[in-house]
Parts: sequence; structure tokens; C-alpha cells
Amino acid sequence: MSTVAFAPAHAAPAPAAARSAFVQIDDVSKRFVVRRAWADIVAHPFSRTYTQALSGVSFGVTEGEFFGILGPNGAGKTTLFKILATLVIPDTGYATINGRDVVHDVHFVRQQLVPVVADERSLRWRLSAFENMRLYAALYRVPRPSVTRRIGELLEVVDLANTGERLVGQFSSGMKQRLLIARALLASPRVLLLDEPTRGLDPLSARSLRTFLKDEICRKQGCTIVLATHNAEEAFDLCDRVAILAEGKVLTTGPARRLADEFADERYRVWTRTFDLAAFERLANLGMVLDINPRGQDADGWATLEVQVPGGHGGAARVLEALVADRVEIARFERVQPSLAELLERVQRRAKEAEHA
Amino acid sequence: MREALALMRAQWLTIASYRLQMLFSIAGLLVSVVPIYFVSHALQPMMATSIKNQGEEYFAFVVIGLIAYAFISTATGALHASFSSDIGNGSLEAVLATPVSMPALLLGMLGQAFSWTALRTCMLLVGASALGAHIVWSHALVAAVVLALTTLAYVPLGIVAAALVLAFRTTGPFPTAVTAASMLLGGVYYPTSAIPSWLALASKAVPLTYGLRALRRTFIDGAPLSAVAGDLAVLCGFAIVLFAVGLTAFSMAWTYARRAGTLAQY
Repeated sequence: MSTVAFAPAHAAPAPAAARSAFVQIDDVSKRFVVRRAWADIVAHPFSRTYTQALSGVSFGVTEGEFFGILGPNGAGKTTLFKILATLVIPDTGYATINGRDVVHDVHFVRQQLVPVVADERSLRWRLSAFENMRLYAALYRVPRPSVTRRIGELLEVVDLANTGERLVGQFSSGMKQRLLIARALLASPRVLLLDEPTRGLDPLSARSLRTFLKDEICRKQGCTIVLATHNAEEAFDLCDRVAILAEGKVLTTGPARRLADEFADERYRVWTRTFDLAAFERLANLGMVLDINPRGQDADGWATLEVQVPGGHGGAARVLEALVADRVEIARFERVQPSLAELLERVQRRAKEAEHA
Repeated sequence: MREALALMRAQWLTIASYRLQMLFSIAGLLVSVVPIYFVSHALQPMMATSIKNQGEEYFAFVVIGLIAYAFISTATGALHASFSSDIGNGSLEAVLATPVSMPALLLGMLGQAFSWTALRTCMLLVGASALGAHIVWSHALVAAVVLALTTLAYVPLGIVAAALVLAFRTTGPFPTAVTAASMLLGGVYYPTSAIPSWLALASKAVPLTYGLRALRRTFIDGAPLSAVAGDLAVLCGFAIVLFAVGLTAFSMAWTYARRAGTLAQY
């Protein structure tokens, strides 16, 4: 937080150079005035305190891409989405959708892009699912003759066809979430902004929704999807590319697979009957494993240990091969997902190392 | 227009889903006509001379005053109430993210409140008529035009109130001050000629003064539209000037809220 003067207003449209990708964000910054206590206002009536929500954020998303923004709460994901959805004006920088500026071409942008905020409150709880959809069909200007058919199809797709006439207030969180997705799809958007779409869903529903988004909406319909999440597994498994955002800054951007190999896939858990620490130490001497961490033994005699395996999938395959060759009895060998905090720590550490180098 | 109708329909369905509340509201309205009838009759001898160029019958005079007041209250209060409610329940952000135009959004948010007021007005008129209020039904269309113009002069003040909600999350005393001043100076319960001379000048700055005078002359006295042309011209002037003010205020509030990031914050 800092006490500074107002930034100059965002006045001119995005320059042509900024309009390369389908969704383009160039050096976008945004800060908000922090609400102060009365005593503070009386003591310093003319000062203002700001919180920096976004700081020089830049990345591009190509058409038909599934792009993830991974970051903890307060990283600036929602602010970024609100800027793209034309609901917030950035202090500096530009954001364009299909080459058109989100500040100046509001109407065009809203025809291209639909934000799905995982806020059930945005549904009208005293109306049925069908009536909710019907309202938004009119707002999105779905051609009148096809409204009923389109609503029926979408409710079917999100598995709510049999509950279309029920009041939304009687729906479970998961059902409301699916209705929000169906509502967004009414517009047949070219860009879909998904803010934590699987929040509040059970694992099965979450998996089914992810598959639906990737296969049906992104691959088949060619819709560009920008997904904000704090779930690293969701971002790396689902997205083509990922930007890691923390404290309003993009720490890194790249293909999901590469980032996962680089930051998330290093740790493996091994279940073994013949607990042979020496075998692991030999691998450690060869630099194939790092940081061996025995986790204990269960009643059936299976021991578990965690190791860090550099070199991505290839490195893991070589370690497994070496252990089998060493006659270590392996029951399971699986990747351990790091927590988001661990992941961010690694990304920040790498960034600092690169800076020093 | 389609978007506005869809928003109106959604609001109607929401209100109709509270069935008992709707029934009580209608029943309450019908019952409220009766005390107005008795009080008006008690005051008739006192008021007859001062309202003789507006129909002479105090019961009809008050009923018309209340109808006009209901419309200006809706014009001034419905939009900001709708914005507050939609911000509170989180649906405003979702609506604003659609390609709906601002006029359609404002119309859609006002439409249900006006249609509800119109329905209540019709019931009040029917009830008053049944109790013997002298109403010139053949001038209903002319009266509707006068009422529409009166309301139109107040809609921009409602837009200003909505702008205040959008920017500051409160209207402050603004809508209450507008309706209270209009009731006090516009002649809802008494003719403006009864207002003390030092306040009479202020009553000329209130659109309701002209609207009510024209409404009573046409709907109670049976005067033709041409007889109230002067009042209608003043109402048009109010509407044009106030719309410019209202839309400017709304546009400023809209930009301010987008810049401050508070568009849908509650």
C-alpha cells in the first residue's frame, strides 16, 4: 500500500501495436483506494491510501486457446477479469478483445466475451432456471425463434434439463454453478472468462465440468477460454498455457506442460515393500533424485518416501527404471502436487535466481 | 426494447412469486380508498370554493392528487431502489456484462415499477368511482398524456438518484426531498392557491404543480387538451432540462464507478 496521487485517466484507445492476440493485455495496472477509518480521515483529510491490484500485467491469448491464470486469493485475477469484462477501467495499459479496446469499445467487447463469475447470487433465485435463461437470452439477443430450443440444449448439456422449471433458490451450489455456465453459453461467446468455475463443486462434477469445457466448448466450438483459478492441478491439467499471477504481477507465463514440469512435477511419492534407503542414496549420488524424505511404514509393511526428481517425466521414468533394476519392490510411484504456496515460492525463487544470474 | 421487456418480465415474475405480499398490497390499496372518501366528504364544504376551477369535488381532487403523487414517487424512487437491490443481490454485474444498452437497462429497471403503479392507479380510480368520485372518463386518454408528461419530468430526478447509488451507494435525502417538496408545494392535498405567498414562488419550480393542475382540469373538470397547453409546455421544458441533467449525472457516476471498481460492489 502506498500514498500517492491519482494516476492519469485512461483516455486514448489501445494503439494498433497492442492488438495482436485475440485477448491482449499490455502493461495493465490498476489500484484501488483503500477505505480508511474515520479518525484517519479527520487526521489526514487530503491523503489517500491505495492498494495495487495489478501492476504492469501483460500477456496474450490466441483464438481457441485454453488459457489459465493461476494465483492465490488477492493476486488480481478478478480485477483482471473485470477489466476484460469492461466493468473496471485500468489506470494504465491496454486490454483488447479481438483487436478492440475494452474501455472504448464496450458494446463490441460485450458481444464477444462473457464473464462467468462463480457468484450464485447473480442468478435470480425467485425465478426458475428456464426463466433465468430466458432473461439472459433476451439480453444476449439470442434470435427469438431459437430461444426455447437453445435453452433446452444448454440445460441438457449442464445436466439440468429435468430441473428447468424449479426455482433456482431450491438448487444446490453445484446446480447453480452449472446454470451459470449454461447462462454464459447462451451468447455463444468467442471468449469465456471463468473465475474459479469448479469452486463449490464435488470432485465428480468438477471433473465433468472441466472435460466439458475443454472438449466441448474450447476444442469443438473453438471458444477462447481464460480460466482464473488457485488450483494448480486444474490450471496445469486443463490449460494450454498458464500465467502465474501473484500480488498483481505476472511471475511467469508459458505452456502448461512446461510450467508443470518446471515447477510442479518434481516431487514423487514412492510406495515400496523393500525399504532400501541405500538404493535411493545411490540415485542421489548420481543426481537423479534429491531431498529423500522417508514418510514411515504402514501395518502391512508398505513404506512410503518422497523424493524430488529433476528432469520432468523423463527423469521420473529413469528413476523408476533404476529402482526396478536395483530390485526395489515398487507398488506405486506417483507425482505429488505441490500446494499453491509451494509453487509460488518456487516460481519466485527461480525468478530471483534468473535475476542474479 | 426486447431487453427492457425481458427485464420487466423477470421483475414481475419475481414480485409475483411473493404471492401473499402482492395480495395484501392490492387489498390494502382498496381499503385505503374508504377513509379518503370519508375525510374528503368531511372537508368538502371547506375546500369547495378554493378548488372550484378544478372540479369542485374534494374527493376526486385528492384521488387525482394521490395518483399523480404515486407516479412521481415511482419515477423518483424506483430506479435507485432497483439498482440498490440488484447491487445487493449481485445480479447487476451480470446484467452489465451483457450487451444490453443503457436506455434499455434503465427502461427495463423502471418498467415493472411503473406498470405496478399503473395497475394500482386503475384500481384506485375504479374504487373511487364506485364511491361516487366525479371523473370524466371520456378524457381518460388526455389525462394519461398529462400524467405521462408529469411523470417524464420526474424520471430524470430518479436517474440522478440512481447515479448517486451507483457512485456513492446512497441517495442521501435526495429522493425524499424531491417527493416531499412536490407534495408540499405541488398541490396533492390542497390547491397551490392555498400556499402562503412567500412559498408560492417555490411552487412554480415544482413540475407537479403544472401536472396536477392540468390533470384535474382535464380529468375532473373535463377541459380539452388545448386548455392545458401552457402547463404541458412547462412540463416539456422541465423534462428536457432535467433529462440533460439526469443523463449527465448518470454518465459521470457510471465512469466514476468503473474507474473506482465499485460498479457492482455492495
